Amino acid sequence: MAFSDFYGNAETVHQLREMLARDHFPHAVILAGPPGSGKYTLALMLARAMNCLSPTTSDGLPDFCGKCSNCTRMAQAEDLNARVAEAVEARENLRETDKKETRILVQVHPDLLVIPPDPPQLLIKVDQVRRLSESIYYRPAEARERVYIFTSSAFMKEAANSLLKVLEEPPSFATLFLLTDNPGEFLPTIRSRCMILTLAALPPPEIESLLAARRPDWNEKQRALVARLSEGAAGHALTFDIATYSAARANALVILNAAARAGDHSDLFKVTETYRPGADGREKTDQLLRALYMLLEDLMYLGNGTPHLVRNTDIQGELKRLAEAVDFDWIVRAAHGLNDVEKGIRRNLLRSLSLDAFAATEHPSRFSG
Amino acid sequence: MAVEVASAAATGTMEITVSKGELLRELTATQGVVERKTTIPILSNYLFEAVGDKLSLTATDLDLSLRTSCGAKVKKEGSCTIPARKLYDYVRLLPDAEITIKMLENHWVSIRCGRSNTKMVGMAKSNFPALPVFPTAGVIKIPAAVLRAMIAKTGFAISSEESRYTLNGALMVLKAESITMVATDGHRLAHVERAGEKFDGVSGEMKTLIPKKAMDELKILLDSTDAEVVEFAKDEATLFFRIGSRLLTSRQLTGQFPNYDAVLPKDNNKSVSVQGAELGAAISRVAQFADERSRAVRMKMEKGELKLSASSTETGESEDTLEIKYDGDSVSIGFNAQYLIDFIKAIGGGEVLIELKDAQSAGQLRPALSEDYKYRYIVMPMRI
Repeated sequence: MAFSDFYGNAETVHQLREMLARDHFPHAVILAGPPGSGKYTLALMLARAMNCLSPTTSDGLPDFCGKCSNCTRMAQAEDLNARVAEAVEARENLRETDKKETRILVQVHPDLLVIPPDPPQLLIKVDQVRRLSESIYYRPAEARERVYIFTSSAFMKEAANSLLKVLEEPPSFATLFLLTDNPGEFLPTIRSRCMILTLAALPPPEIESLLAARRPDWNEKQRALVARLSEGAAGHALTFDIATYSAARANALVILNAAARAGDHSDLFKVTETYRPGADGREKTDQLLRALYMLLEDLMYLGNGTPHLVRNTDIQGELKRLAEAVDFDWIVRAAHGLNDVEKGIRRNLLRSLSLDAFAATEHPSRFSG
Repeated sequence: MAVEVASAAATGTMEITVSKGELLRELTATQGVVERKTTIPILSNYLFEAVGDKLSLTATDLDLSLRTSCGAKVKKEGSCTIPARKLYDYVRLLPDAEITIKMLENHWVSIRCGRSNTKMVGMAKSNFPALPVFPTAGVIKIPAAVLRAMIAKTGFAISSEESRYTLNGALMVLKAESITMVATDGHRLAHVERAGEKFDGVSGEMKTLIPKKAMDELKILLDSTDAEVVEFAKDEATLFFRIGSRLLTSRQLTGQFPNYDAVLPKDNNKSVSVQGAELGAAISRVAQFADERSRAVRMKMEKGELKLSASSTETGESEDTLEIKYDGDSVSIGFNAQYLIDFIKAIGGGEVLIELKDAQSAGQLRPALSEDYKYRYIVMPMRI
């Protein structure tokens, strides 16, 4: 493992490594980018480059060996989902009274603390930030730089305020990485104290060539499809779950069809009733919403004479039929409606009913036809 | 120590027998360092290392680590990690007999005692943080009784506000012939000095900021030891305190302790001597009627009497009067009741000297009979 294994966004990576080389690395960095764009991977690489015991160079810039005890221990945090799952399991095994006050943290090295959103609410909580403010002023033990990585920007209010205090006066030997899909989610006062760097989306051909090298198990058509569907995020593309996406998209199509052409709703209800309330249905609903947005975008491309931008290339025919039934205003209304669904679900409206309502209110034929 | 660890790791599997009493004693001593509410494996495991005829066990919360040891019959040298909390809970319940601890494959550890047999899973030893090595040079011997007394006299004044991180510890100043400890939270300051000691190896002034957590843990260790000296050393990142067979290490805090000389009052000319126990009782009584948040009580020094009073709109008002020998100008000042009580507790209720200047200046409290320690306590006034 080294920086050469990081795919894409060469300029941003170069910039960060240059700051390392000049010993001018900022104390707090916001790494922004779509899910799967490599924010976490990059932050972990930088943590290792800062603390590698036998640091190497490549292209004249600092790199890390990947073999020393700091590198290997920090590398154990690479599989974040597994580490978080272990922590959640460990919490389940605590005594009932301690359970409530225990937060999920990932620490595989004394000087590296990864702070993921705490389940089940999936928010960063004040106790997690407290762990940082309690420990950050201690000198590093086995590393040169204490590194803290927040993997989400969904902060509880007090947690964000608590973080702000530390950001006002961080010690010289600590670096904070704040990862986010959308830097706008941070308090403006947090943003202003951090350097913001963005991992941009990669163009589909670049991702296709990456997939050709790393996912030979997919055929060319699948690779082309994934390259478009991954929204320019290399990590997302490499781990893309075609089956899950196809299922979500099939449901999304049912909902859009029901919305565009009023008719028998029994298909619709069969689909929407599978979106259950509670934490377990969250992932499935998120996937559905993402698929819905993407289909709406595709409909827009088709309706406006830019069919080469369409992402769901494998169902062009079906999309075309749907595109003929709707106009641009309908798409705009649908996008707004979808936005309301998202907001409502965040406020714990029933998922199935929100989706039904969305499909039922978007009938162009009823009003304009 | 580093060499021992290396050779222990090389031999792989470990097998030892240790008496339950001895093991439990050491497990109990380290419980303060072990965190309960955590899901981080390296914080919730002990490191066991068996070398020669000794079992050493280490617990760490990363900022603080405590290594202790006890005698053991070592069949096979080696090391392993064991979940700390579970082990302690389990060993407590075992009968008083010999316990055999044996390392199995995949970080499993078997614990046998009489007819009880248990297996627990630890974690990879390589993940356990490397322990700082006790320096061979620059070790300073501090009498245990002195350090214990100084911690008791200052520890309570350390700030626990996380935003004032340079105050989250006590400053220890060592000179060739004296030791000083200072702690403050910005509202009060405890300063204790002891001269007439002899510290070999100290030239000039050696300042060390000891984190609050380390102070608390040191106090516990000092309370339960019969060792006469504490061996103290430090390197760039770590503080070391060796007490008998136990070694406490703490990472150093960053930051400069504030320059406290400026706040030590120089011309507090209104002074009065009171019985500490009486003063404490009076303050506790009137404080019942103080404002709940500020805990402010008024202290009024007049000819022949010291009046303590407090009032709040919700609970009412209260006044206590103590007879004193005083015939200077009268002065009235407000203090946080808790801060005064903390001090009176620390001196054990002996005679207290209260020295004031005016309502706006810091007050100073001292034990009237200065023993071997030069102890002073400065409290900022409150407006009431």
